[in-house]
Amino acid sequence: MTKRLSSAAYVDRLSGGMGPMRYRVWLAVLGALMAAGAAAGVVVFARGLVVTNLNDIVPWGLWITIDLSAIAMSAGAFLLCAAVYLLGLRQFQPLARTATYLGLIGYSMAVLTLLLDIGRPERFWHALIYWNPHSVLWEVTMCVTLYFGILMLETAPIFGRSSWLRRRWPKLAGSMQSLHQLAPYLAVAGLGLSLLHQSSLGATYGVLKARPIWYRPDLSVLFIVSAMAAGPALTVLVSMLAARLRKGVRVDDHLLERMAGFIGWVLVGYLYFRFWDAFAMTYTYEPGRTEGLRFITGGPLSFNFWVLEILLGAIVPIVVLLHKPWRANHPLRMLALGLVVTGLVAYRWDMTMAGQLLIVSYLSQEFAASYTTYVPSLIEILTGAGIVAYGALAVTLGIRHLGVVDHKPEPEQEETLASVPAAAGCV
Amino acid sequence: MPTESIHRRTFLKVIGAGAAATAGLRAAARASAWETTGDSPHRYAMVIDQAKCTGCDYCSEACRAHNDIAPGIEWNTVVRSGELAGQPVYLPRPCMHCEHAPCVEVCPVKASTRRADGVVLMDYDRCIGCRYCQVACPYGARSFNWEAFTGPNPAVPKWGEPEVPRRPRGVAEKCTFCVQRIDRGLALGLTPGVDQAATPACAVVCPVGARVFGDLADPQSNVSRLLADHPSYRLREDLGTGPRVYYLPAREEAQA
Repeated sequence: MTKRLSSAAYVDRLSGGMGPMRYRVWLAVLGALMAAGAAAGVVVFARGLVVTNLNDIVPWGLWITIDLSAIAMSAGAFLLCAAVYLLGLRQFQPLARTATYLGLIGYSMAVLTLLLDIGRPERFWHALIYWNPHSVLWEVTMCVTLYFGILMLETAPIFGRSSWLRRRWPKLAGSMQSLHQLAPYLAVAGLGLSLLHQSSLGATYGVLKARPIWYRPDLSVLFIVSAMAAGPALTVLVSMLAARLRKGVRVDDHLLERMAGFIGWVLVGYLYFRFWDAFAMTYTYEPGRTEGLRFITGGPLSFNFWVLEILLGAIVPIVVLLHKPWRANHPLRMLALGLVVTGLVAYRWDMTMAGQLLIVSYLSQEFAASYTTYVPSLIEILTGAGIVAYGALAVTLGIRHLGVVDHKPEPEQEETLASVPAAAGCV
Repeated sequence: MPTESIHRRTFLKVIGAGAAATAGLRAAARASAWETTGDSPHRYAMVIDQAKCTGCDYCSEACRAHNDIAPGIEWNTVVRSGELAGQPVYLPRPCMHCEHAPCVEVCPVKASTRRADGVVLMDYDRCIGCRYCQVACPYGARSFNWEAFTGPNPAVPKWGEPEVPRRPRGVAEKCTFCVQRIDRGLALGLTPGVDQAATPACAVVCPVGARVFGDLADPQSNVSRLLADHPSYRLREDLGTGPRVYYLPAREEAQA
């Protein structure tokens, strides 16, 4: 066991391993990005979506990609909560806390992006009232809303633990911490809702017969499996970064290493599904789909596909994460996890683009496909960067002030942990 | 322990109250909704004769004026779809008013609905502007209001007067088969497709009579008779959307 529980005092506020100066620069960069994003957001709300480069042919672009990626990278939350509370892998509990917090931030990023993206943000609640159960997007909206609520309940104990809240409103802090009792029930609900809507985001594209490259059952499977790799990857990566940059953050490297190995195996499964998904599309000529596959593998998206998605996003991380000596090497492991995250974003972007940049004619006499292009506008990029910076800031503050990454056993949990070995042993 | 159980009870109460509020609001919403309900003796459809169409685009202009459409948006578009005997062949494309409309299926808020008479409509007050319908439509028939339409409509008054309010920024829109003309006409006892005031503006304005509107449920209507007498096709029938717009293909003998 190579536990890295060696860092000294937990209660140093300002002088982190990052150093107060570097920390301030980091905050300033995030603050500047968020300010620019907020200003761009004001422009979007004032002038409307005409300030984007979206149009009637490519109505979905960068924002949808950020939205899909943020949701996917929140998948660590349901996976680790299920592992801890349903499979009884209690030792992963500290990691589950990190993942749940990342999930909350990820979903709030998705909600922010969606508010920008819909033409009538003041009507965001319509899906909760005017139900259309035939619509995958309705189901996604309901699941996201419900699961966001569950994430709030799941993270309430984290906020309740903050010393500021305990000082200011001790009772509220106490009841927030006691929500911890609900964790197993929340884990069941979270598992169900997440499996449903992470896949349904793939089905959102998959059900559209107007878009042959999307219209297939595999997208829902690929979306959930890729999320099951990228979500935990971000969780482990953030934990490792926190331990390196912040003095006092202690992590159990054995735990992180086991998780990294798990991610490697998930990637093997993902690559397997991905291969047969792509290969099966070559069996026959299908108008639009064949052109779409060629668009991805040999056209404008081919660099993203071969290099970012397959080579760097899957093959390299598989090798690093499943080869024990390399996995044990911290910089190498962090690099691999970062590549997994990058590969997921590339996959979401490429899928979003492939279905739209390829235009299938409705004229019966011509089945030839035509192509268009899309480059996000500056306003789209600025708002997107602002939302990502918000996420980074929330995670930074969570690490510094809420102990989001902290593998040191808590006093109250020590007794639980003491009774665990038997339970953990039978899994 | 007692504090904890009270806590749980409060929690359940909050959840219960939330569920009840949602259910109540839903019931209220359903009562006021413009949904695919009720019966209609009519089945409206359009037949477009490509042998007659000259690509003059009058239909698009009349559509713009009567429905007060922003300059950047087209409900109806006329494309050059091929050539026959050295002559160009045109294909006007309104909304197909599909029997199994993908836009109606995918709309997360039921802002897109299909009436029993076959007209697929938008509820602009309900649309959230997610644009899923645009992504789902195989015919590119839907447009989004990327910006507010404030200026004068260049098609007015030359091609007609607006009969419907302008759509606000941020919602999707599309051809309605001029539902305002159909409904007002029916209320006045007129027959859509026969009486001009009850017929879509594009069909009324067409100088060569290439567009015919009418009721498929009436075997004597002009659309029913045209479809009985001529071979016809619909766009992307392989998708199973069941368009209510039929095309009579350009024919060699009609070219001369």
